[in-house]
Amino acid sequence: MEKVLTDFVKALRNSNVRVSPAETIDAVSVVDSVGYDDKVLLKRTLSIVLSKTPEEKDKFNACFDDFFSDEIKQQISVDTNQLSDIKDVDSDLAKKLLEGSQGEIMLSIADAAEEAEIREIRYFTQRSVFTRRILEKMGVGKLEDELMQLGSSREGELPSDLEQELRNQLTNLRERVSDYVQQQFLLHGDVSGEQLREQIFKSMNMAQIDRSYLNEVHSLVRKMAKKLANLHSRRKKNFKKGKLDIRKTIRDNWVNQGILFNLSWAYKKIDRPKIYVICDVSGSVGAYARFMLMFLFSLSEVVSKLRAFVFSSNLGEVTNDFKDAKLDEAIEKALQKHGGGSTDYGQALTDFVSLCLDEIDNKTTVVILGDARNNFGPEKAHLMKSIKERSKQVFWLNPEGKYRWDTGDSVMTKYSAYCTKVFQCGNIDQLERVISTLLKTAI
Amino acid sequence: MTDGPKKIIKDITKGFAKHGYICSEQIATAVFLASQLEKPILIEGPPGVGKTELANTAALYFKKEMIRLQCYEGLDESKALYEWRYGKQLLYTQILKEQMQEVLEGAKGLKESLDRLMKFEDIFFSEDFLETRPLLEALTSKKGSVLLIDEVDKSDEEFEALLLEILSEFQISIPELGVRKADVKPLVVLTSNNSREIGDALKRRCLHLYIPFPDAKLERQIVQARVPEISKSMQIQLVNFVQGIRELDLKKLPAISETIDWAKTVILLNSDELDAKLAEDTLNVLLKHQQDIEVVKKEIPALVSQATETSDGKSIN
Repeated sequence: MEKVLTDFVKALRNSNVRVSPAETIDAVSVVDSVGYDDKVLLKRTLSIVLSKTPEEKDKFNACFDDFFSDEIKQQISVDTNQLSDIKDVDSDLAKKLLEGSQGEIMLSIADAAEEAEIREIRYFTQRSVFTRRILEKMGVGKLEDELMQLGSSREGELPSDLEQELRNQLTNLRERVSDYVQQQFLLHGDVSGEQLREQIFKSMNMAQIDRSYLNEVHSLVRKMAKKLANLHSRRKKNFKKGKLDIRKTIRDNWVNQGILFNLSWAYKKIDRPKIYVICDVSGSVGAYARFMLMFLFSLSEVVSKLRAFVFSSNLGEVTNDFKDAKLDEAIEKALQKHGGGSTDYGQALTDFVSLCLDEIDNKTTVVILGDARNNFGPEKAHLMKSIKERSKQVFWLNPEGKYRWDTGDSVMTKYSAYCTKVFQCGNIDQLERVISTLLKTAI
Repeated sequence: MTDGPKKIIKDITKGFAKHGYICSEQIATAVFLASQLEKPILIEGPPGVGKTELANTAALYFKKEMIRLQCYEGLDESKALYEWRYGKQLLYTQILKEQMQEVLEGAKGLKESLDRLMKFEDIFFSEDFLETRPLLEALTSKKGSVLLIDEVDKSDEEFEALLLEILSEFQISIPELGVRKADVKPLVVLTSNNSREIGDALKRRCLHLYIPFPDAKLERQIVQARVPEISKSMQIQLVNFVQGIRELDLKKLPAISETIDWAKTVILLNSDELDAKLAEDTLNVLLKHQQDIEVVKKEIPALVSQATETSDGKSIN
């Protein structure tokens, strides 16, 4: 019986529920005491032991229903003895369907599946192919021919009991084969498909990701942001004042004959960075800004003091829009309000300096996202200098490839002179790396 | 095992009901598994659905001592595990100094003094000077206990790591004394409001129970158990109304505890029929945000008519 359970665990893993070996052992011991008899009870118990978040519980429920589904179907058995003309059918499959027990049919499905190399199934999309292949191996073609003949020979009369029964059995068979394939997919299919897609999204240029995938990218970004948040959220500094940690102080000073020489303090300070983001949302970089803002606001757990500004020519603050509304709406709103115009970095910097230069202190990190394409306007790099002087650090993220910097109307070098660091940031992978550096150094 | 698991689960449900806690089968199963496997349960769910109450009731049901550890940021081992009685320890060294004279009296040479000193019993780090805190207390409790580690998500990650040894092995290593193992394993209940993601290592060691908002039937039973003096029709209307509110998009949805508070309020006001005015006057018992109250105020007529309509039908069991 343990085989069933380990198979089920495998299926769970394939549907993205993380199950550790230790949990599998728990599950085995639980099932020992609960038994397989009561399916509802089994589901409830396994759900407690194996799935550990609400999302996992949903996936668990779906997977459980899929995996243990065939028991219900097997109970549909038909009394075929009443059919008199049973001898009239010639195809093997028809005979098997009419005379064979449920077990035998199940067995022949398994045999045919073996022949069709069901173990090779990997992707979600292959299911229908395999279903068809198994049915063919079982000789469904012949049965269908026979049904056609029966249908044409009766010349418009009502279908005979035999024909009716065969048709029912065929539909039934189809369902069972497709269930079987679904189960096998859960067992053998792997999640690499999904991982592959994530990989592609990560390394794809952000501007080129199709709008229809936005939801998936959203969840991807959220996942990454969460990872970063976990990594950086609890960085601590020792306090130099506050409450004395007596225990530690006495222990540390035992070597000094109990004279309290080196003091330790109880409180540790959790440092949270203060970040100002200025995003260019003009036509050329709007798509990047979308991801950038998405990412930053998903990090709100870590970055408690975040202010975001967007501009094409005039600067506008969007912090509150993002705090209250849903992410998508906020992004749309910001882009609609400020996006699309022609870029004027000089004006944007002037606005920023007059708006909040006073608030920038030596704990502040300023992040600027843009391609530095200034339409040949005045770049006002001296403003960058004053920002740099007041702040802890200034990062510039440029979505364009390095080879394109300083070509045409781009004035990247003029600005980069006043930046602590300049990153190329064209895809999600790069963005993750940049933000990780940002969190590491901003604290 | 003499009783089947189903019977035990049923017993738990009944036993909990006796103490005023109406639990769904899922909850009863979790309690059964926790006592069966001797594993901690991690309970998650929105605030106010009775996570902490579950531990309280379990303590009553299993007739064990309840030990509670409230987690907060900055909680460390000296507050959760054990602490040395420093004052007494310092006094002890003072006494020791005086004693030392006697012990060393007449000793010839450094070596003999040292030998005598080594023979001298040292209790500087011993149980005498050990102040037990909730976690150690739960482990050393002779009769067994129910240990509630409340809102574990509020604590720091370091503290989570501290819990790992206790939760998987039911033991605590005290560097100066060695390993303290539990004689009777306590039933451990952890609760979390998910204000931050609990680490995987901790999750893997626990059974996981998610308590959602109850459905109408269960909620009626809970109100009945907690506020028995409420009239049947009123109870149905209240629950329907609250269930309706939960469909709305609010900052904080009302939980069971709020429903119970509301039921008590209604009893105090001596009303026996839910109407728009009553609902509007007492809305602040249910909802804790001004924005939410404003949202719901607009919906009150619809919600009230919906709530009273279904109760008139009497189709509810």
